[in-house]
Amino acid sequence: MTITSGIDVGTGAIKVVAFAVEGDQERCLGKRVERVRQRDPLKLAGDIYDDLLKETGLARADVAYCATTGEGEALTFHTGHFYSMTTHARGAIYLNPGSRAVLDTGALHGRAIRMDDRGKVLAYKMTSQCASGSGQFLENIARYLGIAQDEIGSLSQRADNPEKVSGICAVLAETDVINMVSRGISSPNILRGIHESMADRLAKLLKTLGSLDGTVQMTGGLALDAGLVDAMKDAVVKARVDVAIESHPDAIYAGAIGAALWGAFRHKRLADMARAA
Amino acid sequence: MRTFVGIDLGSTTTKAVLMDENKEVIGRGITNSRSNYATAARVASEEARIDARFTLFRRALHVGEAGHEHSAEFLAALERNFRLIQFLEQLDDLEETCHRQLEADRFKSIAGPLQEALHIIFARLRQEAASLYAPGAKRKSDFFRDIAGSRFHVHAEAVAREMGIALDMVLNAYDKSIIEVENRPPGGDLSDKFRRAVARMLAADSHAADGEGDFAAMIESALGIELEETYLVGTGYGRVTLPFSKEHIRSEILCHGLGAHMMYPGTRTVLDIGGQDTKGIQIDGHGIVENFQMNDRCAAGCGRYLGYIADEMNMGLHELGPLAMQSNRPARINSTCTVFAGAELRDRLSLGEKREDILAGLHRAIILRAISIISRSGGVTDQFTFTGGVAKNEAAVRELRKLIQENYGEVTININPDSIYTGALGASEFARRAVAA
Repeated sequence: MTITSGIDVGTGAIKVVAFAVEGDQERCLGKRVERVRQRDPLKLAGDIYDDLLKETGLARADVAYCATTGEGEALTFHTGHFYSMTTHARGAIYLNPGSRAVLDTGALHGRAIRMDDRGKVLAYKMTSQCASGSGQFLENIARYLGIAQDEIGSLSQRADNPEKVSGICAVLAETDVINMVSRGISSPNILRGIHESMADRLAKLLKTLGSLDGTVQMTGGLALDAGLVDAMKDAVVKARVDVAIESHPDAIYAGAIGAALWGAFRHKRLADMARAA
Repeated sequence: MRTFVGIDLGSTTTKAVLMDENKEVIGRGITNSRSNYATAARVASEEARIDARFTLFRRALHVGEAGHEHSAEFLAALERNFRLIQFLEQLDDLEETCHRQLEADRFKSIAGPLQEALHIIFARLRQEAASLYAPGAKRKSDFFRDIAGSRFHVHAEAVAREMGIALDMVLNAYDKSIIEVENRPPGGDLSDKFRRAVARMLAADSHAADGEGDFAAMIESALGIELEETYLVGTGYGRVTLPFSKEHIRSEILCHGLGAHMMYPGTRTVLDIGGQDTKGIQIDGHGIVENFQMNDRCAAGCGRYLGYIADEMNMGLHELGPLAMQSNRPARINSTCTVFAGAELRDRLSLGEKREDILAGLHRAIILRAISIISRSGGVTDQFTFTGGVAKNEAAVRELRKLIQENYGEVTININPDSIYTGALGASEFARRAVAA
């Protein structure tokens, strides 16, 4: 049995998981997520990693492969690093073996990834160099409205007349919300409007990946946002992309899970190579 | 005394200028814009009236005249005490509001611990409040939202850790409350607050009044002067929704042009870098606008860009310029988007690049965008006036001077310390003319 861990250092949150892998048996030992909130992400990642190990009764030395992804490359104690595309693809397969594409929506980027049944990346596309329509954008707005992250989804689902927003700068979003609030637009309608514009962009991104079969697994922090998931389901129909959109309660850990599993894979290969040599 | 009020409702801040009949500015006030435009306008003009009171106090106390050396100190102490009283009042309101939030369903399961956490946080906030307003104290900003917000965050993080409760829940109680508190118009009688500030000050330091004459009596007589609001003109980003009738509203381009002209009559080109827009304006010898250009809807190149970077670095906005000035090797910033530039900043910092070099690069980036807007508006002829909040930033000014000279040769560049009030100043002059005409 091999113990591996995956640390996904994102712009908005740090995600850490620990796995026990034996053959094709993959067992999650523990997981933790913490929002960065203006703290030093690297220090925070180390702290959360140690917290998780302690919680699962492990020591750093027990971990055969500590894999990082996202911005985690700078962590001094890691064994290896994997790119986000590969970790999210692999993580999505773990969460839902039927998925053949990933829609990763994080704090800054939206990513669409097409992969095979083993998590090998076949193609990927990212949103442009502007943070409008990103998780950060949504967070700014929610903060201003005094809405916690976990309330966004259910509020959005209560919208009756969504307010159209298009390509507003994430930084100026706050001003825009001031205007919307002063015009008497309700929080649900503001949030749903943003979800719809985000979903429209993401659906276009999916379309550029070419023909898709299997389901599209949503990953990243916003995959837990039921409002965005709903909007996404509507948007693919509108954009005539014939796929099923799915989410998973652990979708936020997809990158970390993928890193841990790729870590186990690489560890085994290195061990095999060492034995052969 | 007749006064004329100009209000510039900007995207991030709302400014007010109080002008007297002699075209002299007697008070300036600024606050952050919020979802209730009426409140923002009201708070800004109240701030201007407070500032006008201090102008009247200064006159009554003969500040600046020979033989009145202590009166300046007395006034400075009075202002600090006055601000502290205001801050503590709003803090009480914030605490009450936060506690009310805990009745909501989402907080029910941990209402007890949260209530305790809030008690501790607010006790700490109150304890340190006096030091925030001590002589020579530096604050990140002068707005309640910024001061209370940044200190709340610091204490919440510590308290949540000490108590082992979720930081997000504590911050959420604050997020839900601050907008409510901010949108409540300031209460209480101003004169009464001044009197309490004087009393508080004398109680703390009985020597404060040992000066030239009876300070308290002089303050009292200055409070007796009535400030009559004769006419009001509003402008700015939010002007369409200002709670005034149409004849009380002017376009912000017109107000900025006129304001810049009033500060420097030789002005022909104005660059205004505000919170969310950057404008290049060409005016004639009477301050009348001939041409202008604005940025599109993106925060890169605007004041918010620097505000965002300051937040990222956990610094005050006014600290950015001095730090950037220490660089002689500005980094080349690749990101355009403000949020991405923030991420790039973090990356570069973690790679060990110097903070001052990155900051200098960010300042250069914002000015480069401004230069392109100026050129689209018709370039620069003599004289050039730089207005808006960013004109206070020495690193931005250094970069601007360099680029203006490279592109347009030797031209006079004017920068007024009160440049952020340019739009409100123009508006107050429109108000004065409306009555004078």
